[in-house]
Amino acid sequence: MRKTRVGALFCSCRLARIKTLSMFLAFIPPCRRSVLSWRCALGCCCMHTNMAEPMELLCWGGDWDLPSVHSDSLIVLAYAKFSGAKLAVKSIDWTWRTITASVPQLHYEGSTVTEPAQILNFLRKQRFNADYELTAKQGADTMAYIALLEEKLRPALLHTFWVDAENYVNLTRPWFTSHSPFPLNFFVPGRQASLALSRILLTKAESPLLNITEVEGKIYSEAKECLNLLSHRLGNFHFFFGDTPTSLDAFVFGHIAPLIKAPLPSGQLQKHLNQLDNLCQFCNTILKNYFTDASAEKRMDCSLTAPHDPVDANLQKLTQLVNKESNLIEKMDDNLRSSPQHRHETKPSARASERNSPLLSKH
Amino acid sequence: MSLAAEAFVSQIAGKVPFIQVGNQVVSELGPIVQFTKAKGHSLSDGLDDVQRAEMKAYMELVNNMLLTAELYIQWCDDYTATEISRPRYSSPYSWPLNHILAYQKQWEVRRKMNVIGWSGKSLEQVYEDVSQCCQALSQRLGTQPYFFNKQPTELDALVFGHLFTILTTQLTNDELAEKVKSYTNLLSFCHRIEHTYFKDRGRINAA
Repeated sequence: MRKTRVGALFCSCRLARIKTLSMFLAFIPPCRRSVLSWRCALGCCCMHTNMAEPMELLCWGGDWDLPSVHSDSLIVLAYAKFSGAKLAVKSIDWTWRTITASVPQLHYEGSTVTEPAQILNFLRKQRFNADYELTAKQGADTMAYIALLEEKLRPALLHTFWVDAENYVNLTRPWFTSHSPFPLNFFVPGRQASLALSRILLTKAESPLLNITEVEGKIYSEAKECLNLLSHRLGNFHFFFGDTPTSLDAFVFGHIAPLIKAPLPSGQLQKHLNQLDNLCQFCNTILKNYFTDASAEKRMDCSLTAPHDPVDANLQKLTQLVNKESNLIEKMDDNLRSSPQHRHETKPSARASERNSPLLSKH
Repeated sequence: MSLAAEAFVSQIAGKVPFIQVGNQVVSELGPIVQFTKAKGHSLSDGLDDVQRAEMKAYMELVNNMLLTAELYIQWCDDYTATEISRPRYSSPYSWPLNHILAYQKQWEVRRKMNVIGWSGKSLEQVYEDVSQCCQALSQRLGTQPYFFNKQPTELDALVFGHLFTILTTQLTNDELAEKVKSYTNLLSFCHRIEHTYFKDRGRINAA
């Protein structure tokens, strides 16, 4: 009886499936819940792969004007756009995959590929090749620059987002906590942070005395040097090898886009990067041309007012910021007024203000 | 300092090679290059910014691929580690320090491989990565005598060091050396540097 009920549930779409599953699980006794939920999860997976969908990419969700906040996911997304590969992008936010899956992950016809370099190789084999027009020397340069990014820039990025206390507490941990389901939100950020710290220490610090403070200066100076080198190499061109983007552009974009766009409280590397105009321009060009298809259509309709758009956009952003700040100030005022301490204090001060107001009213 | 004491200090500190100038000890390639540059000797002054960026990038490629592959083959491949690496690493020391240091080094290297994602790779995949790296270096070198400007730079020194080690170190099998030898311009590059700068030392085995 219960098995047929389970089978009937699988015929609906994914979201409805999750909702009905949770409702279904609520009605059965707790002792049988774990077994059935395992079988349901397995059934979901089987149904999924039998549907013969296009290539599916699992990645972290987007924020801060980016399609994804995760560097490696951005690399794969950017390369897919450059090479014209159609990917069904599935965000792992608010699912159990936040702790079980190694992201990004490409699923196609039953096989799974992880790691950006492997995924890019896989896409090339499927004839989605953005490096087709590169010469052999340019291909070798690509490998070299990707190694430079991994060795010099990645440790500093990991430190900025996951180890630097101010950034971690104010930005990274809240974001990942709010995008993970209960009870994983207690574990996911901490696990990522410890992985990041161990990676930095094992690759950059002198063993056996592994101390993060000794390497901080070194990794940030290497990262700044790496950004300068990339800026020199890019020069005034749109992309690293001519006018069409390649896999190197995808890798550079994936690494620097979160650094440019994230609202970091303490970002010395971000300040350094903002001074390198050509890299910021490079990042914004890619976002504008490849990741904003919907807004591009709106721009086509409003082409007559195109010269005024940047000014209007800036004004809109300013008014939004001012509104947000005024809302925040109002909230703070409300909180203060409603707090019990303030109520005790306002009694004598209220009398003081009553005394003051006749004085003021005279003036 | 006596040789044994020096070896002891360097192994505990973990950083070889090192040079000693008066009271200063400078270890590892990067700091040594900067030290000699501060003293007025630099090989890469003639390069412009783009070429310097390329040189740094290729040096990182060699560090990322070749060095990691060498460490993997020496310490993560059980047969090689037992037969060659541990005995060689622990040879200057007496019991029990030799065992402790050898296992500590192996554990440390395996942790590092784990963190950067190489622990899941098989030996064939590692050979394939080395081959790709050598292919990139071979394409960059082309038919030139050195990588930049007909004069050797730090990149030439680094590449020579790694390739010479791979070609001359005897491991349990010669597959890695064969992969490198298949790129003839890299092999002739090594021969040329060895004959030009290291005439009195040992020779690379002919292919």
